[in-house]
Amino acid sequence: MSAAGLTDDLSADLASASLVLARQFSEGATLWCLAPSWEPHAQHVAVEFVHPVIVGKKALPAVALTGPGLVSAVRVSVRPGDVVLAVASADEPAVRSVMRRAPAWGVTTLWIGSGPRPTAGAADHVLWLDDPDPRVPATGGFVLLYHLLWELTHVCFEHPGLLAPVVPECADDVCITCGDEGRLGEVVGPGRVRTADGVESVGTMLVDPVVPGDLLLVHAGLAITKLDEEAGR
Amino acid sequence: MTDPVREEATSFLYPFLEAEERDQDSLLADLAASARAKAKESAELRQSTLDACAELVETAAAEMARRFTAGGRLFAFGNGGSSTDATTLAGLFARPPLGDPLPAWSLTADQAILTALGNDVGFELVFARQLIARGGDTDIAVAMSTSGSSRDLTAAFREARQRGMYTIGFAGYDGGEFADSKDVDVCFVVRSQSVHRVQEAQALLGYRLWAAVHEHLDTKGDKR
Repeated sequence: MSAAGLTDDLSADLASASLVLARQFSEGATLWCLAPSWEPHAQHVAVEFVHPVIVGKKALPAVALTGPGLVSAVRVSVRPGDVVLAVASADEPAVRSVMRRAPAWGVTTLWIGSGPRPTAGAADHVLWLDDPDPRVPATGGFVLLYHLLWELTHVCFEHPGLLAPVVPECADDVCITCGDEGRLGEVVGPGRVRTADGVESVGTMLVDPVVPGDLLLVHAGLAITKLDEEAGR
Repeated sequence: MTDPVREEATSFLYPFLEAEERDQDSLLADLAASARAKAKESAELRQSTLDACAELVETAAAEMARRFTAGGRLFAFGNGGSSTDATTLAGLFARPPLGDPLPAWSLTADQAILTALGNDVGFELVFARQLIARGGDTDIAVAMSTSGSSRDLTAAFREARQRGMYTIGFAGYDGGEFADSKDVDVCFVVRSQSVHRVQEAQALLGYRLWAAVHEHLDTKGDKR
């Protein structure tokens, strides 16, 4: 049971997730940790970063969000540039909802779990144990993954030259400078939509009626599509 | 053959870009290799710990099963990351993904009680005082620790012993004070100097202990 070593894929995923996390921390990010079915994991991640066990490693802002109303708690907590880390199975409703909304909030996402995987692209970084046994979360496999995430993130801080923010390459459907943009937004009120750039005025006549929490694709100040519950990224 | 001069005709404009890309790839390769090495170390430690503690796990599980059958309950506690591992273990007993639930709680779950005790009587007594209020002579106390010597945990074990509770300590390094304490019935020691590797092995050991308790309960059930 997850006692074997790491696969090459998982170790590569951990490496790139750690570099991104280090970059976001160095830009002032806070790490928000969720684990609705195994809340102690969220708290373990947070205490790991806030109060490192290795003397001399810097304390970093990390917070466990627990209890009911998790999606609302994340919504009100995160700021663009932050990172959300979930420890949860692929079918955890609150985590799925957070992951779908993350691009509208401008946050990077990490998803640790086991069993069936989330759909491709459901999170920016997926660190997964494929063992389907539902008891895996209590065997220490996740603890190993987030310990390694912490350890590798701190290795990245020893390479400050590589922590500069990466300017995203021009992607076909989202690049503002290419003229054609389609950004995810979340309705906060009539005509008001939250995107990674902040809350903006958006025309919703093409997709009305909308209610707060609806996810929209925003193009040039106009909502062009309303995404259904399970669509997303 | 390409002309090296022409190929790099514009590279003088961005002298750092290529070097940085190479550096990033090499850092990512180093990180991945480091992750694999640490995971291997963790897997070996988990296996050697399970092997070394196999008999002790059976002893503890038999007594825990006896106590659960007699109406006993489990209280788990620890500090920092270990407190979360203790809470996961208590949750595994009380709300198992498979199998029957058993009465178990984490003593760090209630912030009002924790801060009231910490503020009024001192942090050293945050767990001992809860055991005074709740612990009885059929109950079980489980403390998870890497040092095995935290004052609040040794104080809780002293109280648990006086109340006739069964006491189980998880420790790292050489077992710390748990290893030699007359207040500790069973001490599981994960022999490593790394707090992270110790916690990973303790988690698996706790899981194994839970599974063994159920094996003992099932055997008893069959005999009825």
